[in-house]
Amino acid sequence: MIKDFFSSFTSPSKLHAAGVLGMNSRNYNFISRLNSRRLYPLVDDKVQTKTLAQKHGITTPGLIGVIEYQHQVKDLLKIIGNAKDFVIKPAHGSGGKGVLVITGFTEDCFTKASGEKLTFNEVYQHISNILSGLYSLGGQYDVAVLEELVHFSNIFKDYSYQGIPDVRIIVYKGYPAMSMMRLATKASGGRANLHQGAVGVGLDISSGSALKAVMNNLPITKHPDTGAELSQISVPYWREHLIIGAKAYEMTGLGYLGADIVLDAQKGPMMLELNARPGLAIQIANGKGIESVLKNIEKNYPTNLTPEERVDYVLNLGKK
Amino acid sequence: MLKKVTSVRFVLSVLLLLSAIFAGYSIYYKTRYWGFSLTPKKLTDVWTIEAHISFNPTGDPIKVSLATPTEDNNFKILEQDVVAEGYKTKRIKADTNRIVLTSPAKESMQDIYYRVMLFDNEKASGKTKAPVPPAPQKPYLDEQMSATAQKLLKSAKKMSGNEVQQIINLLNQTTPDANVLAFLPIKKSAKDIAQAAQNLLALKNIPTRLSRGIKLVENRKSFSADLMLEAYTDGKWKTYNISDAAIGLPDNFILFQRGGESLIDVEGGEDSVVKFSVIKSVSSSINLAGQRAKLAHQKALFDYSIYNLPIMQQNTLKWLMIFPLGILIIVLMRNVIGIQTMGTFTPMLLSMSLVKTGFVPGLVCFGLIVSIGLLLRALLSKLNLLLVPRISSVVIFVILIMQAFTILGYKLHFDIASSAAFFPIIIMAWIIERASITWEEDGPANAGKEVFNSLLVAIITYFIISSETIRHIMFAFNELNLVILFMVMLLGTYTGYRLTELKRFSPIAAGK
Repeated sequence: MIKDFFSSFTSPSKLHAAGVLGMNSRNYNFISRLNSRRLYPLVDDKVQTKTLAQKHGITTPGLIGVIEYQHQVKDLLKIIGNAKDFVIKPAHGSGGKGVLVITGFTEDCFTKASGEKLTFNEVYQHISNILSGLYSLGGQYDVAVLEELVHFSNIFKDYSYQGIPDVRIIVYKGYPAMSMMRLATKASGGRANLHQGAVGVGLDISSGSALKAVMNNLPITKHPDTGAELSQISVPYWREHLIIGAKAYEMTGLGYLGADIVLDAQKGPMMLELNARPGLAIQIANGKGIESVLKNIEKNYPTNLTPEERVDYVLNLGKK
Repeated sequence: MLKKVTSVRFVLSVLLLLSAIFAGYSIYYKTRYWGFSLTPKKLTDVWTIEAHISFNPTGDPIKVSLATPTEDNNFKILEQDVVAEGYKTKRIKADTNRIVLTSPAKESMQDIYYRVMLFDNEKASGKTKAPVPPAPQKPYLDEQMSATAQKLLKSAKKMSGNEVQQIINLLNQTTPDANVLAFLPIKKSAKDIAQAAQNLLALKNIPTRLSRGIKLVENRKSFSADLMLEAYTDGKWKTYNISDAAIGLPDNFILFQRGGESLIDVEGGEDSVVKFSVIKSVSSSINLAGQRAKLAHQKALFDYSIYNLPIMQQNTLKWLMIFPLGILIIVLMRNVIGIQTMGTFTPMLLSMSLVKTGFVPGLVCFGLIVSIGLLLRALLSKLNLLLVPRISSVVIFVILIMQAFTILGYKLHFDIASSAAFFPIIIMAWIIERASITWEEDGPANAGKEVFNSLLVAIITYFIISSETIRHIMFAFNELNLVILFMVMLLGTYTGYRLTELKRFSPIAAGK
């Protein structure tokens, strides 16, 4: 029992040899060095991210409106206008907290993605909670963002339980360094966070096809709820995915960032949000340390390339 | 290269080293000059010796000279004073300190009091430097006594110890032989034995002298000065206890007079008597530190230290001085071990509360408050309140729970419940709120894990800061906080793996 406990630990030198990036090193050597604090609002505030993305020609889900003050909550229907389905999310939220997906509404109720019905009052209440800062980082007052619902491509329908599968790309100095797809499960409550029990599928950075999959830190081959074969995953429009990530570097100036990208059936890859402190679980999903990748980029990759050139550079490396 | 030398880590390491050297010196300084100890001995014994001198004036001008203790490394004098009406007092510092009191002629019986307060007398020892004394004068003994003395010297050889000890032991025999009886009165006093020993040793050409002092024993009243016999053998003076022949001054023995001088000289008076009394009292070690500093001529620094503050401020600071250590533990737990807790300093504040409530009562109480709080919070979540009013309601819940516990605890004589009031209200409310949100979003297992982690760190911190010794050290040697500061800053540059990451990322290292 005690022996088992100890053998579940590895040694620092082995982790180092595998090029694994630890939390302390991530914070000290990468985030604090490359991500200036004054740039954080660009990615922490979803309204700012959206307007900035449009300027840089990155597709994002369309903005329907913003509710800033309590008295605007009652005007919800007016703001929605013609949209049939939409998403309400806190501008400063994180980890998918406070996101409400409305797939339709009638004169007396809204329908959630899960099919559950919500009364108008319940939705108003949810928006009020967002405004009071319930879901925002640090609990400060927030605004509610209404955006168009992504009609995500059917390709991954079998790979996800409820929530939208998204692709996370770690971008280092403008170069896509590592990527994974996150698939919601029943255990994760339809959310795509690995620590909540979502499936992480490591993707080959030069092809977008699955390398391996993990759930709760353990390797798996099939989606626990749908039974879909995870090794079959291959993300289409991979170059476009990478270009969104690479452009995010110029857009924000963040040297180390995580870009979350979803695939819309009509509009192709869309940037959902950016993260200035992306987590380290992506290494487990890839079965590979990221530090060695980052060091390689730092040392050997050319500088002064355009986003497209950088993406092609990465794609070419894979072909060799 | 230059970049490396001036790097943050290097600068911090140098600062850490410097602060450690400073703290090391400061600890030495405080123990040496201020008498601080590394153990939390709160109280130091303070002994008051009172000498009561009484005599009848003869009608001539009076001069009284009393030998007084000479301060050395073995004890420190807190205060000394003389109560003598109509006398002029003069202090003489020589081999033996003396107090000289002079007055014109007086008529009635005179009473003079000399009082001295001593502390730190634990290590009294009896080493004396003295020039080689002349050969002792042989005592005048008649023929019969002389023969007895020779017989005694002969039988002394059968006793244990060196030649001086042999004689003292012989004279102290509980069933003395005939020769001893002839040499000493039946009801022998220490003084009789001392004199007999001096005479016998003089016959053996060993120089001797008597010294007088006080053996510090609680509540000794009205006794004569204790005698010690000093004998010059092998080129040095050695002090012998007259009752058991032990060499050296006994513990807690304060010498008043030694060498050839007298304990007291009275001119213009007769029938002079000196009686001593001893009283033991205690005083806080840190209170005496100022006195110690003054004696060591290190007063200025002391005046600007926290130990010179009123006791209430000192107690507040004493509580504050333990915080940096708690913070260091939190930093280690989070950045080196990698335990995630609710809020950065919540565990430290919890551990502080545990110190005040006691360990088991605190844990029981904490568990009850959080459980009841979570229950009420679950009811509250059905009301869909806005954030600030909801948190505020939880705060009020916590206050009401604490109040109920305290009242119940008092009424039912259930002490555990009364400790509820020591927990920080806002912190408890946040723990309940955070746990409740985690419960709703990630399930009860994760909520329980969060609370458990925070409590675990709090318990580890508790065991470190609840130690009386550690608290004492952090207060008495507060410059250690500077060392902790630089340790914390240096940990801010630690980029190695956290302990929990060795488990988290182990699949990658194993290549699975």
